[in-house]
Amino acid sequence: MELHILEHSLKVASIEKEGIQICTHGLIKLAFLASKTRCKFFSLTETPEDYTIIVDEEGFKELPQSEHISVADATWLALNVVSGGGNASNSQPIGVTKIAKSVIAPLADHNISVFMLSTYQTDFILVRERDLPMVMHTLSSEFTLLRVVNGETVAVHDLGVTNGFVKPKLVPRPIIHPLSSPSNMFCVTSLDPDTLPSVATLLMDVMFYSGGPKEPGASSEDSNHIRFFSFSLIEGYISLVMDEQTTQRFPNNVLFTSASGELWKMVRIGGQPLGFDECGIVAQISEPLATADIPAYYISTFKFDHALVPEENIQSVIGALRTKSTAQ
Amino acid sequence: MSGSKPDILWSPHHPDRYVICDSELGLYRIGPVGSAETKAGTLPLSEETAATLLAINSDTPYMKCVAWYPKHEPECLLAVGQANGRVVLTSLGQSHNSACKELVGKEFVPKHARQCNTLAWNPVDSNLLAAGLDKHRADFSVLIWDISSKFSPEASVTAEKIRLSSVDLDSSSVVTKPLYELGQNDACLSLCWLLRDPKLLLAGMHRNLAIFDLRNTSQKTFVNTKAIQGVTVDPHFHDRVASFFEGQVAIWDLRKFEKPVLTLTEQPKPLTKVAWCPTRTGLLATLTRDSNIIRLYDMQHTPTPIGDETEPTIIERSVQPCESQIGSFAWHPSSQNRMVVVSAANRVMTDFTVFERISLAWSSTTSLMWACGRHLYDCVEDGAEGVESAIEKDIATRMRQRAQSRYGHDTVQVWRNHLLAGGNDPQLKSLWFDLFYILLMIKLTDLELKLPGNKQSVVYSGIKNIVKSSSGTTESRKCWSGSDRQTDVPRFLSEERFLALRLCGWIGRGPDIDVEIFLRSLEQEREWERAAAVALFNLDIRRAIQILNKGATAEKGDLNLNVVAMALSGYTDEKSSLWREMCSSLRLQLKNPYLCVMFAFLTSEPGAYDGVLNESSVAVRDRVAFACMFLSDAQLPRYIDKLTNEMKDAGNLEGILLTGLTKDGVDLMESYVDRTGDVQTASFCMLKGSPGDVLKDPRVQCWIENYRNLLDAWRFWHKRAEFDIHRGKLDASSKPLAQVFVSCNFCGKSISYSCSAMPHQGRGFSQYGVSGSPTKSKVTSCPGCRKPLPRCALCLMNMGTPVSNCPGTGKSDEKMDLTRENKLAQFNNWFTWCHNCRHGGHAGHMLSWFRWDTQEKLQMCRYFCNPLVQCF
Repeated sequence: MELHILEHSLKVASIEKEGIQICTHGLIKLAFLASKTRCKFFSLTETPEDYTIIVDEEGFKELPQSEHISVADATWLALNVVSGGGNASNSQPIGVTKIAKSVIAPLADHNISVFMLSTYQTDFILVRERDLPMVMHTLSSEFTLLRVVNGETVAVHDLGVTNGFVKPKLVPRPIIHPLSSPSNMFCVTSLDPDTLPSVATLLMDVMFYSGGPKEPGASSEDSNHIRFFSFSLIEGYISLVMDEQTTQRFPNNVLFTSASGELWKMVRIGGQPLGFDECGIVAQISEPLATADIPAYYISTFKFDHALVPEENIQSVIGALRTKSTAQ
Repeated sequence: MSGSKPDILWSPHHPDRYVICDSELGLYRIGPVGSAETKAGTLPLSEETAATLLAINSDTPYMKCVAWYPKHEPECLLAVGQANGRVVLTSLGQSHNSACKELVGKEFVPKHARQCNTLAWNPVDSNLLAAGLDKHRADFSVLIWDISSKFSPEASVTAEKIRLSSVDLDSSSVVTKPLYELGQNDACLSLCWLLRDPKLLLAGMHRNLAIFDLRNTSQKTFVNTKAIQGVTVDPHFHDRVASFFEGQVAIWDLRKFEKPVLTLTEQPKPLTKVAWCPTRTGLLATLTRDSNIIRLYDMQHTPTPIGDETEPTIIERSVQPCESQIGSFAWHPSSQNRMVVVSAANRVMTDFTVFERISLAWSSTTSLMWACGRHLYDCVEDGAEGVESAIEKDIATRMRQRAQSRYGHDTVQVWRNHLLAGGNDPQLKSLWFDLFYILLMIKLTDLELKLPGNKQSVVYSGIKNIVKSSSGTTESRKCWSGSDRQTDVPRFLSEERFLALRLCGWIGRGPDIDVEIFLRSLEQEREWERAAAVALFNLDIRRAIQILNKGATAEKGDLNLNVVAMALSGYTDEKSSLWREMCSSLRLQLKNPYLCVMFAFLTSEPGAYDGVLNESSVAVRDRVAFACMFLSDAQLPRYIDKLTNEMKDAGNLEGILLTGLTKDGVDLMESYVDRTGDVQTASFCMLKGSPGDVLKDPRVQCWIENYRNLLDAWRFWHKRAEFDIHRGKLDASSKPLAQVFVSCNFCGKSISYSCSAMPHQGRGFSQYGVSGSPTKSKVTSCPGCRKPLPRCALCLMNMGTPVSNCPGTGKSDEKMDLTRENKLAQFNNWFTWCHNCRHGGHAGHMLSWFRWDTQEKLQMCRYFCNPLVQCF
């Protein structure tokens, strides 16, 4: 398997809900007018608490300075796993499940904090730039490491620096953060960039005006209903995560939907904001899912983490994770 | 819908129909402008053609790519790839016949929705439709659908799960299970089926070109490259593939797939379409974004496969089919070099034919060909009269005929060459007689004519030089013989003058200076006037009269000759006689120049023979001979020089008599060649010359080379070989060096090389017993490494050992054969090899082996190859 270290230098920022209006100009430009910026990596995720922005340095220039925006100090690099095709098993698990054992667990063992972003197309594992030597050292045994430089993919080798790296002790990872599962169901989808202008106003409405007048029937939703929407435009590919109600506002055939029309339920991780330093959170969730061979998407935001699992598996997932946390 | 770029597809089976697809599909029919069906709706495409819109299909939104079903039935079935990855079968302008109805509306849905980039029908197994999709996680990006498959049972299982998409779908027409899934974890940007095997699919993947084999889907051949867009196979050359990346086109040879065999010059703007012309080999059309030109690359003369060293020849040119920017184009499938172009905006269409470059070629004979596209025109000069004769007169035609009649190759009777040339050109006749006499003289100098000094070169150097060297001239006064007049005419005699007369052909060999033989030969050829004149110049008036009488009485003779004879007989040397007065005035009215000069001679004062010498109708040889007899040492060189210069200026070959085969002669020949272009005569003539002088002249070499090229151009290979042999005999330096060598098995050096410093043809092998006397041959080991030479498979003696020394086959009659025929014995000593098994031996042994038992002929090599049998 190949591990690509992408060339984007990423910033992770949080915009408070109250401050969103001062950023809309920049965000609209990043999301819908990609040709006007040199940004290649943009992701916006709305949670009930805030908007989480992941953007490369070129795109970061489009955002204003404001007290409503808090930025994580570190610069992040995105890693991407490319499996070499090879023998195709019929039921390939998708999402973090596939890489849980090979990437996420080893990084957690080496106390490297990761920030996950699953999209329709692939999964990005964000690591701090300063952790890169350690990451390469950790993963070089399992992967062919390739680094993208000026659009060209070149092989890189582990620098052989082992000094000071402690041998990790393999401990069981109990789930330590509280979990919750909202009631609404989500759809992970995409659309043709050519059709983006035709649905731009709709997307803007979804992104920025969700806090406005509630849709009819929304009030009748139970308190478990969560506001969650993610849009990303990465290297020309668009990925959307939204709940089922929102998808129905789109015209037919605009959204890419899989043949089976699968829907996903969310597991929300964290009672307190998780911060960026704690490691092993993704591993705690993904390892039991991998063991059960349940596909999952995983989206980290500034404050909390979110895992998406197939709706039919939600009960077993919750069950498995609860067991794990109470076993502690 | 914005941003959808138009594309054109020609119907694979209807040469007048095509589809334009942008946001919808439009079927058009193309026809001549102003035809009976001209309606308000027709759109002019060119001055001659217009298109009619037949049908529109806007059922399928978000089209990304379209492909036309390649088979006749159903006729107008299109596969449309959509932005969400679904492939829909649709139809245009069809009365819904049953075959089509079943298929139209069928949808092929990938597991995960993403853009469908490309579609390709299998050209042979037309049920197979390949779709290339964007990357989606670990999913496959190349899906091959079977359009005849019924909806799969799995589809019904999953049908209940289809909530988002099933609203507008009849689930029975949805197929979700592809026949093949290829290219996992990758994106596919372009696809085409390979024409050399319908099971092979070429795909432009994310960063590589891959060839998938449907017989073994786990294997793929691939090459890493950026040029992965628009893969397309050359329909005329199934191993040649074009693909592009941004502004650059790469041409691949599937037999040598590691890297592109060539890349075309990069364009500043990204390419949008690349297409091979289906009607013309090696023509590739390319279109870049925002451009109003189509760039064409002609690779017809590019060698395939292209070697590493050679710079490929590609002719690049641009055509501008219309003023506006071009959205797309499509070659017409059968009409030559024709395409329809659609503009980027407003769907303006243009019918356009790329005009083929014209190439023009003269044939080596008299015709002119020009070629344009598939047409070949043979041009002949238009029917004016005399064309035939003009062609006949053309020097190229004549040289060709002469080459066929072996002109120049008669080395024994050299003068006969003028007959081979047709025998009607007095200059050639003179030339070949000159050469004949020159060669005859040379032979005589060797044999009997003991001439002092280096006479041989004098003979070559022409009369001009001969008379200059003249010394010891004696003046003799000779009386008229056969006449009662006692007048003396002064004549000049010297050895050089005799030589000159011999070269003129007046007197024969030996010390004898009698012209009688010459006269008889002239009589035989019925040249009565000339014979009479020669007799007269030799002061034998009676013989002259006799000749004229003979001429008058001969068959078809001219009776007027008798009248002339009568006039001659009245000759008187009285200065003031009526005869003389009348003769000098009336002679000018005589038509025959020889008769004219006869009277001029008779009426001239001694030493003042301008009337004879300047009569240009008289052959040069006769005038020169005359001058040699009657002009003094002071007058003669002057006259000869003057005549020589005249001849040189005129390029008259008769002048060769004067110049000989010297530098002067080459000058003369040069002006002859300038005048006529007859390099053939020039080559043959100069080859006869003394090798040292003229053959080295670059002009002569140039004529010879040109003549050889000419023979090559006429494809007269045998004539060319004959000429080369002929040339080699006369000019040893022109012989090619040995081109075949025998090399040693051990050190690889030529075995003939080290023994003779200069490897010369036929020389090197003689020491190895391959030729020459058996007793001399001693060398049986390689001179380079001292290893023994191969052995004869029969007598087991080393190469180099003569065959007669060895016991051979032990057959007595064989031995007798060898002794009987010496020549055969020489050949028997040669070594020969089987090209298959490399066995061999003395040619004689090999011959007798084969003679031994014809039944086992074919067994021979197998027998030798047996390791138990001694071999080398």
